[in-house]
Amino acid sequence: MRGGLVPVYRSRPSPLHAAGAGATTSLCVALALICALYEHPLVLAAVIAAVAGAGLAAGVGSEIARAARLSVPLALLVTLINPLVYAEGQTLLVRGGSVLGHRFDITLEALAAGGLAGLRVAAFMMPFALFAACVDPDELLRSMRRVSYRSALTAALATRLVPVLARDATRMGDAARCRPQPPGRLEVARAALAGALDRAVDVAAALEVRGYSAGRRSARARHAWSRHDLRAAAAAVVVAGAALAGKLAGAGTVIEYPRLEIALGPPEMALATLLLVAAGLPFAGRSARLGVARA
Amino acid sequence: MPEPVVSARGFTYRYAEAREPALRGVDLDLAAGSFTLLAGGSGSGKSTLLRALCGLVPHFHGGEAAGDLEVGGLSVRTHGPAQLAAVCGTVFQDPESQVVMGGVRSELALALEHRGEPAGAVARGVEEVALALGVAHLLDRRTDTLSGGELQRVAIAAALVGRPRLLLLDEPTSQLDPVAGDELIWLLRRLNEEWGTAVVLAEHRMERCLPAADRVVAIEGGAVACDAPPAEFLAWSARESTALATPVARMFSMAGLGPLPTTVKQARESLRGAGLAEPSEPAAASEPAGRSRLPWRRRPGGPLALEARDLWLEIEEGPRALAGVDLRFEAGERVALMGRNGAGKSSLLRVFKGLQEPTRGRVQRGGRVALLLQTPGDYLVHDHAREEAGDEALRAAGLAGRGDANPRDLSGGERQRLALEVVLGGGPCAAVLLDEPTRGMDRPHKDELSARIGRLAAGGAAVIVATHDTEFAATFADRLVLMGPGTVIADGPPAQVLAGGWHFSTDVARALGGAGGALTPEQGARLLQRELVA
Repeated sequence: MRGGLVPVYRSRPSPLHAAGAGATTSLCVALALICALYEHPLVLAAVIAAVAGAGLAAGVGSEIARAARLSVPLALLVTLINPLVYAEGQTLLVRGGSVLGHRFDITLEALAAGGLAGLRVAAFMMPFALFAACVDPDELLRSMRRVSYRSALTAALATRLVPVLARDATRMGDAARCRPQPPGRLEVARAALAGALDRAVDVAAALEVRGYSAGRRSARARHAWSRHDLRAAAAAVVVAGAALAGKLAGAGTVIEYPRLEIALGPPEMALATLLLVAAGLPFAGRSARLGVARA
Repeated sequence: MPEPVVSARGFTYRYAEAREPALRGVDLDLAAGSFTLLAGGSGSGKSTLLRALCGLVPHFHGGEAAGDLEVGGLSVRTHGPAQLAAVCGTVFQDPESQVVMGGVRSELALALEHRGEPAGAVARGVEEVALALGVAHLLDRRTDTLSGGELQRVAIAAALVGRPRLLLLDEPTSQLDPVAGDELIWLLRRLNEEWGTAVVLAEHRMERCLPAADRVVAIEGGAVACDAPPAEFLAWSARESTALATPVARMFSMAGLGPLPTTVKQARESLRGAGLAEPSEPAAASEPAGRSRLPWRRRPGGPLALEARDLWLEIEEGPRALAGVDLRFEAGERVALMGRNGAGKSSLLRVFKGLQEPTRGRVQRGGRVALLLQTPGDYLVHDHAREEAGDEALRAAGLAGRGDANPRDLSGGERQRLALEVVLGGGPCAAVLLDEPTRGMDRPHKDELSARIGRLAAGGAAVIVATHDTEFAATFADRLVLMGPGTVIADGPPAQVLAGGWHFSTDVARALGGAGGALTPEQGARLLQRELVA
């Protein structure tokens, strides 16, 4: 069976998987921060390249590729809508008609701005794909339990049960096809919902007999930082630091209107290079190949 | 008797909104370190008793309880499931609903975390239970990637991680194939012997569990009907409740032999002791006792019901589910389709029905094909049974007068009968396909299903049943198709395929060494009586 478009975590012997959920999440968040702060095409392309490289090195290249495929139509949609909505810009490409007093002229600048926004959407999705493929949700949720135990457990249950319920719904769909007169979608959906409630009751019973309502909670285990943790965290710090420093220094300036101006000098080149190098940090060193999933 | 881990005195329980009590005056003492098998038909009260022992009854399900029931010295009426979790672990039927975390390691840690154990103790507990139950290699796996057997082992490990004195299991093998089911029972026996954990196991397949048990408690109508060691239980069941007896015990009882054996090994020894030497004739060449000719050979070239020609099903990025299957089924045939998990049985049925398109090959259908998939509840989408099928179908399902009942309130057997009528509705069928219809089913319900299959075949349909249950296959089938991975590896009369089998065989055939092709207790008893007369 083909995998879904959204990556799913599988334990793998890679440095990113071996690093703690907190460290790997930090790196993904730092990469996402770049996308939030910059719309410079070189910087965004560097984020995409950094995630693709890290994904390949972590053995999740196919998952990242699937997420990238999912991002393409979204990026194209944004690219095409922007010039229809914004008519600013000095370089007129197409003179459109007027609807309800609004002129639909298409300018080069609006098209380029749409392209940059689309690229930004695509780049934004990449660190989340890396996160979904490389961070153990159970470990992340365990660390969140200190904040809110019930919410974290509910999230863990949802992570576990959504695919189970999806399988239940598929099965019910197959059963409906086996009936001489298949029932309507609404009836099947209602029955699937009732089935989900039944399953929820079973899960609640399972939690009860495992002592859920005892009210006591374990203190969180304190793990010593491994080399993988240190390298992933260092990469996160470098990426986030470079992002903030670059922004303060005015790197990556893009002016879309009235004429498109994209700064392309040493600061942008340095930032892009730094991103690529930082994304490789978790994989540096001999011990990287020995990574195993954490307790 | 060692200190009891369970002590019940006149314990009675009625579910909220139920008219009759589910448990009536239960008196029971279970010794620490014992292995107890709970026997009883569907709806007898086995599951309710287990739910009472873990505190879900009455604290989770509500209702009214009376009398005393203590588990590990804690009264279940004053202590809830969370407190009782310290002394008893519980495993339910469906592993999908009791494994709650995404990763195996987190799953095993959960019970200890709920008890507030320090992080070091949690890590040690997880490591130890994983090694003890042979699931250490699964620790870093995601739970959604585990097979049913692996998932059930993880559920047992999660129940045992806190080292409870008592382990409760409610039909834990009903969703597993026979190999995984047998492995699970022997794992429980090892835990019971090595750790001294008392085990209470509710199961329908007595022949699978009886050899592991020290004691059997039979529940009928919510009350304890028999509480005895396995041999005495068999003697009781032969007199009072033959549906609970193992096939080999039934064969001995019908042949007038005694004492009734609890294991196949004992049966062989008894037969040797009675001068009935193990048969030496090759089983494959034999015919079933009491049958002169095989019905499937009586109809060569009968009307076509279903045919597969060079059928291939190759799953993208997956294994070959079917690899060049050639099969022809004729009207009136009763076919058991057997094989291990992943052999392609369900895939073949889905392709026959048209739920999946083959990647190569051709399916020819002699008319309408009805398919009942593994979970009959999936077919029932309305609020009333009458809306699922008409009054006539309800009568055929034995549900006359239950038309206003919500299908979700029906028992497992009733739901299955109703679902079968749902797929049969809409005119005559050339072929009726059933996928694992006997999961979690007791013997009387299997007998009912067998009779229904007989009626369908007599009406001209080819009935093809994918099953792991060799005893059931021997009861209804006149032809047995054994599948290997994606291919047909044997196709013939059940006596020929099963009597000489090792894994794919019945207990009666094992006890008799395949003699005379006898598979069922009735056939075995006739053979033994002939031998005794001779």
